[in-house]
Amino acid sequence: MQEFEEEEKLEIVQKFPGWKEILKPTTEMKKGFYSYAATLRDQEYLNLPFPREWSPLDEDWKLPPNWKEIIIEKMDELRKKYRSFQVFMDICVRCGACADKCHYYIGTGDPKNMPVVRGELLRSIYRRYFTKTGKIFGEWAGARELTEDVIKEWYLYYYQCSECRRCSVFCPYGIDTAEITMLARELLNSIGISQRFSLISAAACVRTGNHLGLSPGGVVNSIRYAVDDIKEITGVDVEVPVNKKGAEILFVTPSGDYFAQPHWFTFIGYIMVFHELGLDYTFSTYAAEGGNFGFFHSFEVAKKINQKIYKEAKRLGVKWILGGECGHMWRVKHQYMSTYADETYEDALKVLEEPVNPVTGTVFENASSTKMVHILEFLADVLKHKKLKIDKSRNDHLIVTHHDSCNIARGMGLYEEPRFVIKSVCNHYYDMPDHSIREKSYCCGSGAGLLADELMELRMRGGMPRAMAIKYVHEKYGVNHLTAACAIDRAAFPTLLKYWRLPVQMGGITELVANAMVMEGEIERDTDLRGNPLGEYLEVEI
Amino acid sequence: MSVLGTLVGVVIPYVAAFIFVVGVLYRIFTWSKCVVPFKIPTTCGQQKSLPWLNRTFMDRFDSPYTNWETAVRMLMEIFLFRSLWKNVRYELPAQTAVSTKWLWLFALTFHWSLLIVLIRHFRFFLQPVPDFVNLIQGLDGFIEVDIGWLWFQPHVVHIMVTGLTLFVALLYLTYRRLAFPRERTFSLPSDYIALILLLCVAVTGLLMRYVIPVDVAQVKELAQGLLSFHPPASPDLHWLFMLHLLFVSLLLAYFPFSKLMHSAGIFFSPTRNMPNNNRAVRHINPWNYPVKGVDWDEFYENFKGDMEELEQMGYVVKPEEV
Repeated sequence: MQEFEEEEKLEIVQKFPGWKEILKPTTEMKKGFYSYAATLRDQEYLNLPFPREWSPLDEDWKLPPNWKEIIIEKMDELRKKYRSFQVFMDICVRCGACADKCHYYIGTGDPKNMPVVRGELLRSIYRRYFTKTGKIFGEWAGARELTEDVIKEWYLYYYQCSECRRCSVFCPYGIDTAEITMLARELLNSIGISQRFSLISAAACVRTGNHLGLSPGGVVNSIRYAVDDIKEITGVDVEVPVNKKGAEILFVTPSGDYFAQPHWFTFIGYIMVFHELGLDYTFSTYAAEGGNFGFFHSFEVAKKINQKIYKEAKRLGVKWILGGECGHMWRVKHQYMSTYADETYEDALKVLEEPVNPVTGTVFENASSTKMVHILEFLADVLKHKKLKIDKSRNDHLIVTHHDSCNIARGMGLYEEPRFVIKSVCNHYYDMPDHSIREKSYCCGSGAGLLADELMELRMRGGMPRAMAIKYVHEKYGVNHLTAACAIDRAAFPTLLKYWRLPVQMGGITELVANAMVMEGEIERDTDLRGNPLGEYLEVEI
Repeated sequence: MSVLGTLVGVVIPYVAAFIFVVGVLYRIFTWSKCVVPFKIPTTCGQQKSLPWLNRTFMDRFDSPYTNWETAVRMLMEIFLFRSLWKNVRYELPAQTAVSTKWLWLFALTFHWSLLIVLIRHFRFFLQPVPDFVNLIQGLDGFIEVDIGWLWFQPHVVHIMVTGLTLFVALLYLTYRRLAFPRERTFSLPSDYIALILLLCVAVTGLLMRYVIPVDVAQVKELAQGLLSFHPPASPDLHWLFMLHLLFVSLLLAYFPFSKLMHSAGIFFSPTRNMPNNNRAVRHINPWNYPVKGVDWDEFYENFKGDMEELEQMGYVVKPEEV
């Protein structure tokens, strides 16, 4: 983790240039705000157009000679393929309701981080090449020429958007900057411009089945460590099926859970809960990843990664699929998965059935087509039916608040399940202020491929509104534990909380469930899942 | 006057109306031709999942599951500006966000006023005047005021509330673009053009009602003539009315080329007009095409050693024997 100097002071300089100034491309690649370029290896492995070595710091980005025609053609193609694109380009009235809803705008003060202006970066080009007024009146119609500087500006600012959709909640027409960002990244990809961080993970996922690039043996080793940990903490021998044909449920989780901290405690939590419930489930080494970093890049890479789960469900002959705690994974699983899938889905339907919870008999009607259920929906159902023996007092040292991760909040509507689950296993729970939870939740600042280390300053600034809401409940209620059902959050928050000097630890929700769960045949526990003395809160160093 | 009268009173309105109708239809046609590859509603409320979970009355519409719930969401968006209602303002030193309803209030006032003013204008086009138009006219103008101070003699008029609220709302909407630094930053000339045109229409209209009355009978004659495609050859009306008509024509002609198309576009917004039932009802992407990934066999080949070891374990991971 990067260390921060005590004296370091964050200054937010708000700038308000005129509209003519806004039309001029900003190309200064400031440290902490621009992403590194994709490696040649990843570009080649994923068969991306115009693979080459380049750097955003270079004067010459080695664009293909006809890059301009490619972009214009691609824009024309995309506006016909995506109604969202055409409509969002046409109907923005620039009312400004979105302006201060972006956490990056709040944290940086950079006018081009206002969602309306982020949209204008693309809209100005759209006007110039696809509208009469833009062609005739040019600048006075808010149009501008497509130049290499515009491409640089796009790269800079469309990789400063975490696709959190918060602006879309407040927009009177529902204009979704996440959608605009996705299509802008698609445009950039068409001339061979991709970001390093998300492509490393995406390429690894295509190759090995998970973002971390773990080989099947690596996945199995992780699970082995998990069962050892469980034995040490609880004394219970837990067996975990992997690639088991004929299992009822295929369990898929973001690969960060396999060994990152604090994901790990959630990971062993899943396994403990499944064991206690006696689920007939299996992990898969082929579909070892729930997330989809291709989603942050382009349609094709997203599809490449997406197909694995249905293929594996078919191969193993499972009845339905259970998904772990992850954010963008659930945006994809909920809104894209079955749409991306073509014959792989029809094929999988031969074995898949409407998900039924084998423990409670509950039919998950809301997942009747995709056949994939969120772990929190599953746990809420299990806990409601009191199928687990819970000792809430084991979590009494924790004063908990919950962060609604962008994607499962605004891309799925999962608000009550996490709260029900947490309140079922914890005695102390407080929500953060209204403006910062549920559909108004602030992003952690590191989503959509922005978890890269080189974007550290942007991430710390973008995470500020969230951090300040945590600070509020920390000071008011003594909150010392933050939960989030998102692997990116679990990776981003420890750094963010440390930067903003908040002595709050963070973790997933299943961790709390497993910690409070009394297992059959368990020894008297003297530590929690983190290995801390049971019931004792170890102060987080800040 | 007669040539100018024909031009402003007949030719320009017809041309403008033609551009308006064809332009708007063309834009709507363009949008409906674009396909919707994904179902991407912005879910602003609890999804429908487990039946016993707390799902509030508004959640049903902020995160609609059925088509009728989606329709209600759209109606609330169109008639009540539901999303603007949620607006908050981030306070920087305090690091909190407070509810702010000014934009909602004035935007809603403007749009509703405009709608009612438009309905009131039906009385110029329709003979006999429909009852609902008379009713709205009566309700809108229930305040009677003597504006003799303006006239230096007693003069009683019905104050048409919506005409004034329309004007005031427009002034605020212009003011915020000029005075607020953020709004000034992203406002384009086209944003002001729309406001200026609307203000010109409103001001000329208000002047006719309260300051310089024009012969309403003549106006009605022209309006009905235009509507029945039997316009007078060279209408000779008051200059103020002609100015009003000219601004309306300009606004109509400008409409399809501008952001004013948002009035139709909102119906096409995929984040608002689609239900959040993604996992229950599959959405089909019409241009979906297969993309080759790594399939199981290839994966198995790549990691043969690992996979064989896993086979020997019987596909089960057990804790180490102590």
